[in-house]
Amino acid sequence: MLKDDSPNAPFERAQHFTVGVGQPIVLKPQTNAMTAAACVGGLLVPGLGHLVLGRWVRGVLLLISVLLLFILGLGMHGALSSPPGPGELISFKTLNAFANAGTGLPYVIALRMGQGEGVPTAQTADYGWLFLVVAGLLNYLIVFDAFDIARGRKP
Amino acid sequence: MTFSHFGALTTFALLVSVVFAIITKSEPREQVRYGIFVFICFLAAAVLVGWIMYPLPL
Repeated sequence: MLKDDSPNAPFERAQHFTVGVGQPIVLKPQTNAMTAAACVGGLLVPGLGHLVLGRWVRGVLLLISVLLLFILGLGMHGALSSPPGPGELISFKTLNAFANAGTGLPYVIALRMGQGEGVPTAQTADYGWLFLVVAGLLNYLIVFDAFDIARGRKP
Repeated sequence: MTFSHFGALTTFALLVSVVFAIITKSEPREQVRYGIFVFICFLAAAVLVGWIMYPLPL
């Protein structure tokens, strides 16, 4: 029988998976509080959601990767987009700020420190902008992954 | 900070490959294989697109 993977599927408390040729892995869903902590933590600091769930190696690798993308983006004179004002909600700036804000606290700290002004004439400014945007968007995906782990859908 | 275009591209591909591999696959061996595959695909696509754009009068 095929597994019902729809959002309305009845919630199973424990699922048994076999990955590769190793021992069967039992996936146990975490509590709602732990799931929320992993997601909020992951949104604030990249990889923190995985660290909260005990996935130390994954968490550290994700933290290093996203932070490096962010720091290199700033170093290459990429521009950070600040949150849009009331008259700018329907604009490209909103999408840009949404993507940048995905990095979480590093985004807030960089804005507070006056970083991310961007130097449009710099040779690497476009690359820097791309690094900053992708760092934020990747972190949204990372939070979804942490959510899946917390719900017991992934080892 | 000064990067060549290829250096920036390679760094970007490496870091994004690591994240894709971790969030897409579950087993460490699969993650390594998939990460290497994605990294090579990034570089190959960049070289291919570069050659396609080469004759364009830009």
